[in-house]
Amino acid sequence: MGAFAAVLRKDLRLEIRSGRSTIALFALSLLIMVVLVFALNPQPIDRARDAAAALWVALVFAGMLGATRSMIAENENGCMSALTLSPIDPAALYGAKLAAAFAFMAIVEIAAVGLITLFFNLDFGADLARLAPSLMFGTLGFAALATLLAAISSRTRAGDLLLPILAIPLFIPAIIAGVKASEAALSGFPLAAASQWLGILAAFDVLFITLGALLFEHVIRED
Amino acid sequence: MEHFDYLFAAYSIIFVVIFAYVAFIWRRQARLETELHAMEERLQNLKPVSPSPGVKSAVEN
Amino acid sequence: MKNKIGTALGLMTLGLMLVSLFMVFEWVPTEADQGIVQRIFYFHVPCAWVAFAAFGIVAIAGVFYLWLKDQIWDDLGYAAAEIGMVFCTLVLVTGSLWAKPIWGTWWTWDSRLTTTFILWLLYGGYLMLRAMADDTEEVARFGAVIGIVAALDVPVVILSVRLWRTIHPAVLITRSGEHGLEDPRMVITLLVALAAFTALFGWLLMLRFQQLRTRTRLTILRREVALIEAAVGDY
Repeated sequence: MGAFAAVLRKDLRLEIRSGRSTIALFALSLLIMVVLVFALNPQPIDRARDAAAALWVALVFAGMLGATRSMIAENENGCMSALTLSPIDPAALYGAKLAAAFAFMAIVEIAAVGLITLFFNLDFGADLARLAPSLMFGTLGFAALATLLAAISSRTRAGDLLLPILAIPLFIPAIIAGVKASEAALSGFPLAAASQWLGILAAFDVLFITLGALLFEHVIRED
Repeated sequence: MEHFDYLFAAYSIIFVVIFAYVAFIWRRQARLETELHAMEERLQNLKPVSPSPGVKSAVEN
Repeated sequence: MKNKIGTALGLMTLGLMLVSLFMVFEWVPTEADQGIVQRIFYFHVPCAWVAFAAFGIVAIAGVFYLWLKDQIWDDLGYAAAEIGMVFCTLVLVTGSLWAKPIWGTWWTWDSRLTTTFILWLLYGGYLMLRAMADDTEEVARFGAVIGIVAALDVPVVILSVRLWRTIHPAVLITRSGEHGLEDPRMVITLLVALAAFTALFGWLLMLRFQQLRTRTRLTILRREVALIEAAVGDY
């Protein structure tokens, strides 16, 4: 537990310190939302569907940016080798990186969700509350996936291109389920209606967190 | 024979692709084997030399 | 020994293929609704079977590689991934060629095509990884991890896509070539084609796998030679 907390704290601190890039990230989220507004041309009647779509595009982007950055920073200053050689349990290390990625994504998503609420005419109270489950599960799933994959992609040439190529196909079932769950939530359906989709999301999360924890050691090991 | 061209196209593509892949393997194989024999020969030539470095200069000249 | 199996598989493939082709074009009756285009089905389905089976092999080889750390498993996995990609592409192409005359569109997001397309993307990711990185032991490990993760993702994909499509079916016509095989000759033709493609898969896998083994041997030899030359060069 101590190792987990220590690595998590380090990652979050590094992230906060590099505040410069966080602003750029918010700017990018805003602009992506703008593109989606013009692409989808949202009408009130399609409100739920368009907002759900925009939300999940934003989620994937946030995740992509977050995961690569944390890994690249580690590899660049040789920190990763130090962590690998230390007696930290790789699963705990994975957990810490996952938590950091999740926190980072959450921050970006708060901004994106705020923008979506404005641009797509959502209601700040009820709608957001309804979106919370699908959003949380989706973020967790993507963080789990991306943390494992970023460890791989950051060690290859053109690593930041490889990450989306690997991550997005794997994430598709979560996107399908997540968009449907979000859409159902925004359409005012009771939670039960979206429950199959949330179930798939939850299963996805369990699967990938488990896989990540088991396989992380094979990915960070250096010979 | 309605839509025969689609049927023909589908089966043709299947066979063309399979043959192309086999051809790809075939060509690679020839190259690999030449390289392999070359390496094995080099290894044979080097083997008697390596254990005793003192003999090296005699063999080199 | 190796070459005997290879030749046997090759001959079996040839034989079964010829029988298959005869059955598809001469023996099996034409399907009532779709006409002769429906015959694409008899080779389209086996391609899908091979694509999915190969995927399973990539994953299992990945597990063995991580566990036993023997390069032979990586060679097997890589060969299977390549072949799987080839056949996955064929599924999509033949599927489109079947869809266009029947449904009037080259592509549709029905559950089977969508799932196969996602499988194709997963294969693509694996092969991109191998292509964009040097062939080191580290990359072999990465490949194994990706293979395992992707294979375990597939059931979730199938589930979510099927649910996605039952709630909003894109195409209401079922491809009767698949479920309603009225004539037993159709079933037999399909089974023979499946056998032919299984043999083909085995043969191609054997060829490519042996080739990768040769390549591995070459790499080991290169290293030995380099080591000796370096040792000799020190003096």
